Amino acid sequence: MPVAILIILLLLYAVVRRVDFFSAFTDGAKRAIPLLLRVLPTLALFSAAMSLFRASGMEAIISRLLSPVLSRLGIDAPLVPLILVRPFSGSAAVAALTDVFHAYGPDSKIGLTASVLLGSSETVFYALALYFGSVGIKKTRFTVPVALLAMLTSVVTGVLFSSLFLG
Amino acid sequence: MNVVLFFLLLSGAVAMLVSGNGDGVLLALQSGADSAIQTAVTMSGAYLLWMGLLNVAQEAGLIRSLSRLLSPVLKLLFPNAGSAKDAIALNLAANMLGMGNAATPYGLEAMRLLNEKNPRPGVATNEMCVLLCVNASCLELFPTTLVGLRASFGSARPAAIVLPTLLSSLLSTVVAVVLCLVLTRPCRSRS
Repeated sequence: MPVAILIILLLLYAVVRRVDFFSAFTDGAKRAIPLLLRVLPTLALFSAAMSLFRASGMEAIISRLLSPVLSRLGIDAPLVPLILVRPFSGSAAVAALTDVFHAYGPDSKIGLTASVLLGSSETVFYALALYFGSVGIKKTRFTVPVALLAMLTSVVTGVLFSSLFLG
Repeated sequence: MNVVLFFLLLSGAVAMLVSGNGDGVLLALQSGADSAIQTAVTMSGAYLLWMGLLNVAQEAGLIRSLSRLLSPVLKLLFPNAGSAKDAIALNLAANMLGMGNAATPYGLEAMRLLNEKNPRPGVATNEMCVLLCVNASCLELFPTTLVGLRASFGSARPAAIVLPTLLSSLLSTVVAVVLCLVLTRPCRSRS
């Protein structure tokens, strides 16, 4: 439903603004190709590591160990890799998400929560390094604690709202 | 990042070896790498489609319209932004529409302009810190590529996540904005 409305609005908007739809679309889609190529190496490494971790039985052991802590926070163990890599790399987070989709399906409780977590958080450390690095800033003052608190908020509320709206 | 990967690989390999299934290590790694190719193929359709549509939205001026809507809020958050005002607005607007790729060049441009007026080179100004914090909390109006990704993995309701994602990112943005306003207030009254 929302997607259908979104697409109709976009089409009307593009017509009103006299956008050359064909070339605008293909120009944008063209930029997806280098993006996919950039994601692939990370995806291969991360998928291989997760596959080994799961096949060896370590995932089951770690989830059993962590479950008393995590269940109190409402976080399922398979979400931990996603949360851990999210601040550092968008590609790795997408890899972790697709790993969850493969193992549990996108409409499972875990798959839905993982989607919300990915959507509502950002690659905090990557953005910090890129933006501050570009102008040679060394002292970042209150940025890191505030950014991490915001990230923590989005993880806690993401898990909460997923179970509230989608559970 | 490296620590996470190292832990996954090392603990997995050791556990395999201990359980007497050392040959399974290569098998598991290989099947993981194979599934990466499948995943890339699966998600390539979603990426092509949504990045095409997003570019149409961008050329139609959607980011510009949204950044105009944002300007009253931005005056409050970035009182001394000066010439970087437009770049900041465009950066945040692009982020809200899930267009991270379009947002980055605007963000870097904003940092460059802010740094030109930086009285203490190497030390972040209030404006820079606030820009990063608001970027980190990233209010997400519609997570375009994420919805596409869910659809390409066969989700029956790919857009079900839109509302919880919006609310969760809204709350984290409120946290970031309130903290930034509190932390930058002393300097505000001085200037």
